[in-house]
Amino acid sequence: MDEPVLKRIARGEQRAVAECIDQFGNLIWALARRLTRTRADAEDAVQEIFIDLWRSAGRFDPAQGSEKVFITTIARRRLIDRLRRAAQEPARESTEALEAAGWAEPGTRAEVCVEAEQAARAVARLRPEQQKVLELGILQGLSHSEIAARTGMALGTVKTNMRRGLIEVRELMETFGAQAAGGSRT
Amino acid sequence: MSDALLRNERLLDLLVKQATEGMSAAEQSELDRLLAQHDDGDPQLIERIAAAVALAGDFPDEPLPAALRARIEAQAVKELPAGQSNVTPLRPRSTAVASSAAGRFGWLAAAACLVLAVIAWWPKLREMVEPPVSVTRTVPHTPTLAEQRLALLQKGATQSEWSNTEDPASQGVKGDVVWDNATQRGFIRFTGLAANDPKRSQYQLWIFDARRDDRYPIDGGVFDIPANATEVVVPITAKLAVNQPAAFAVTIERPGGVVVSAREHVVALAKVAAG
Repeated sequence: MDEPVLKRIARGEQRAVAECIDQFGNLIWALARRLTRTRADAEDAVQEIFIDLWRSAGRFDPAQGSEKVFITTIARRRLIDRLRRAAQEPARESTEALEAAGWAEPGTRAEVCVEAEQAARAVARLRPEQQKVLELGILQGLSHSEIAARTGMALGTVKTNMRRGLIEVRELMETFGAQAAGGSRT
Repeated sequence: MSDALLRNERLLDLLVKQATEGMSAAEQSELDRLLAQHDDGDPQLIERIAAAVALAGDFPDEPLPAALRARIEAQAVKELPAGQSNVTPLRPRSTAVASSAAGRFGWLAAAACLVLAVIAWWPKLREMVEPPVSVTRTVPHTPTLAEQRLALLQKGATQSEWSNTEDPASQGVKGDVVWDNATQRGFIRFTGLAANDPKRSQYQLWIFDARRDDRYPIDGGVFDIPANATEVVVPITAKLAVNQPAAFAVTIERPGGVVVSAREHVVALAKVAAG
């Protein structure tokens, strides 16, 4: 099995940088495009994310998940930070309105890694209001208050749906993982 | 994540907030306190679940722009020095977004104490002249961090000794900061700083710039102290340009560092001599 590219980056292997960008550059760009207002914002964010990534590669632990999830976690942290900062600045219009993010069609995006495939299956089993809250909060980057305003739900209901939705996704992913492990043993 | 963490509703609320919309300084501080009470949990699990959910979404079918890629690769050359095995900064921040008067007072009080501490400790600190020995992995044909630090010092970089604070974790901490403002490079060196479990907490360096608001120190990176290390040398990774360094501080933060430091555990302070 190939050594994870993040491990090689952690050792200072410059050649692994290009491979890492090849593998994950489009993903990070897509995440940034979804959670920033303009293309210029997205470019700034992606540069910051990659700096974070070079510096944190040594913390990647394959036992805790795939490289794709590790990198997405780092990217989301940076993007959420930027969203919070942007929320404190004077409002400015997006110069390029992208189509609102939604769930991928089965079999198109969800196959990008095992966790994403499991998460997609898990989300599909959630109640519609939980799916909506996760979609607006996680895919589109809306704050809980913004979700409440958008959907008409009470803020407390938004928070409850977000929390329960994530916990249920976690439980379902564990179940799917156990089933897959059982299937692979038989 | 342990069931104990899941059963703590407030803790779970904060972890979900962190993973979905971010937190205020007060919430971050509260989360740190609650996590400190649970040694067996996985505080990043909710973030990973949120990441997996994010990957289940559809994305714009648009490749990374070539010019941006070139900038990223150029940046990587600077960010990947050989021999960084004991350095694991995760969330360098451009600034610490702190706004509370109490927080500001805390830094000012710490700075005042620093002056007194430096005066009191100066004779002892001056005796701490030891040959630098890095615990980092030695890479053939590549200068170790200790050697790089020494070279920077020999080129005229400023050297500032750490002084202790009242935090229990600060007791016995010694070492220094070497910083070259012209090249924006520097190293911090420690002995006596306790080893940390990166899954529970990490050390974070802050740089106070005399030309910036002292409420917003520059993040100098997150780092770890390995178990059984005698002396550790860590490169400084300042995200913003440092105009006029006035002081350096090290805090204990949650894994990955923080945007907003609750400033509850300041374990080392170093004032840069005027001049």
